[in-house]
Amino acid sequence: MSDNPYQNDRGNMDFSIVNPREGGDMQPSPGTGHAMSTASAFLIGDTMTGGYGNGPNILHDCTIAVDAGEIAVIVGPNGAGKSTAMKAVFGMLNVRQGSVRLDGEDITDLTPQARVAKGMGFVPQTNNIFASMSVEENLEMGAFIRRDDIRETMEQVYELFPILKDKRRQAAGELSGGQRQQVAVGRALMTKPKVLMLDEPTAGVSPIVMDELFDRIIEVSRTGIPILMVEQNARQALEIADKGYVLVQGRNAHTGTGKELLEDPEVRRSFLGG
Amino acid sequence: MDFLNAFVALLNFVIIPATAYGAQLALGALGVTLIYGILRFSNFAHGDTMAFGTMVVILCTWGLQALGMDGIGPLPTALLALPVGIAATGLLVIGTDRAVYRFYRTQKAKPVIYVIASLGVMFIMNGIVRFIIGVDDQRFGDGERFIISARTFREMTGLEEGLAFRTSQGLTIAVAVIAVVLLFWFLNRTRTGKSMRAFSDNEDLALLSGINPERVVMITWLIVAALATTAGVLYGLDKSFKPFTYFQLLLPIFAAAIVGGLGNPVGAILGGFVIAFSEVGVTYAFRKVVTYLAPGGWEPEGLLQLLSTDYKFAVSFGILLIVLLFRPTGIMKGKSV
Repeated sequence: MSDNPYQNDRGNMDFSIVNPREGGDMQPSPGTGHAMSTASAFLIGDTMTGGYGNGPNILHDCTIAVDAGEIAVIVGPNGAGKSTAMKAVFGMLNVRQGSVRLDGEDITDLTPQARVAKGMGFVPQTNNIFASMSVEENLEMGAFIRRDDIRETMEQVYELFPILKDKRRQAAGELSGGQRQQVAVGRALMTKPKVLMLDEPTAGVSPIVMDELFDRIIEVSRTGIPILMVEQNARQALEIADKGYVLVQGRNAHTGTGKELLEDPEVRRSFLGG
Repeated sequence: MDFLNAFVALLNFVIIPATAYGAQLALGALGVTLIYGILRFSNFAHGDTMAFGTMVVILCTWGLQALGMDGIGPLPTALLALPVGIAATGLLVIGTDRAVYRFYRTQKAKPVIYVIASLGVMFIMNGIVRFIIGVDDQRFGDGERFIISARTFREMTGLEEGLAFRTSQGLTIAVAVIAVVLLFWFLNRTRTGKSMRAFSDNEDLALLSGINPERVVMITWLIVAALATTAGVLYGLDKSFKPFTYFQLLLPIFAAAIVGGLGNPVGAILGGFVIAFSEVGVTYAFRKVVTYLAPGGWEPEGLLQLLSTDYKFAVSFGILLIVLLFRPTGIMKGKSV
């Protein structure tokens, strides 16, 4: 029985004043009050709980999703588990509970390589290029699993990132930080992915380059590829996001459209600096 | 002053032998550097892999010679047996990989564990080779011995000094050039070769790009088997085959790979020649050359030999130390450090 004093059974046995037949005790759920709206998700990591190896859980019932044609952004303070959530979706974390679904198909038990074959493109935060190989070779290696003609896709990548075409014979490791990130994204696009995941694409680049990278990411998104990304620069990221997830200590703290989160006073106070 | 004779003497005793030896070291060092780049450890069993391949080639050559073959025209019969040796060595190294190294790969073991495991593999291969062919010197060269012999050269040019260019030396240089061209074409132009470079560059990203690591490792071992057998056979034809010598070859080969920059194929070739030329140069008695050059009556009394040939390994390691002190990653930028 609950602590509700109105439901206390004391003195309730006098059948001359109370009818012994119990009334209904079903309670309607109040709901969570914060809709996750994941019904239409193209890629979803659903209530994932897990950690690295046999270590403690880092994610706790964490849900992140991206709809077709949209940009979803994961933001949060340092150590909130943003990149970890991304890795969980990509199969690089021991997810002990929950599931990952791509276009309705359960891919929770697939290896990262198998997920790439299923159409997921992933750009890691660091070491995301083949530094000793030329830009063109980087793109070729990105398309390694494809057996068809890759020239058309390569042209599309060059169209998206014109600077790469000029530098295609140069070793990728010799490029600037922003250009390297473009190589990394270009490499991931070579498989013609159905969804693109970016782990802090603007880490360590100057603000000007960052703006350019965001523009490019929007352009990629306009080609119809849903994008799920982790970002340090919460405000800028939420501005371009269709949907945002604020994680705190491996849990979903706030979820909503980018605009809603930017206007949410609590999110503003805790993450956006007022 | 007799520049021409001095030059011929130098060519005969230093430049030609060192070039042939350098080519053999380069082929060996390429194998070491490929393993270092892709499997990420220094393979101490490389010298004995060379010995095993050479042994198979020698046994096949003897078989062919027993059937009455005496060289393919001017070339040694061993060339015909080489593919058999490469195949057998390929089977051996892939078997070793399955039995030993693959276990450590699935454990994600640290490279130093592979190094120590390769030491064990080295002793086993060493034992197999000695058990089958014995510890003695074996000769298996046949066919034409010289491209130019010292006497023909003297008759041709009328010079006092003779120049001998042996078939094995010419063959070594030619085969090494072909092998290197093929290897670089493979690594830089083919899809599989590029995937090997990608794997060596960034293993995780290669995995994410759908490159199968087991396949890359297998192809690497096959290439290494081909390079090691070829290097071993060329060395055996040029000098002689003795299991202990091949085990010792490990030292200059490693020196070459490290001097050139571990993990860098161009560096391995460069390193091979640096080591070979310094070994031969430092241990050669220069009296003859200087006598030709010096004005009359100024002939040196000593041999003008910096070090006795017994110390030739000291030379490789001297060079190694100097290079590592001033350029820790090797002459060409390698992947170590």
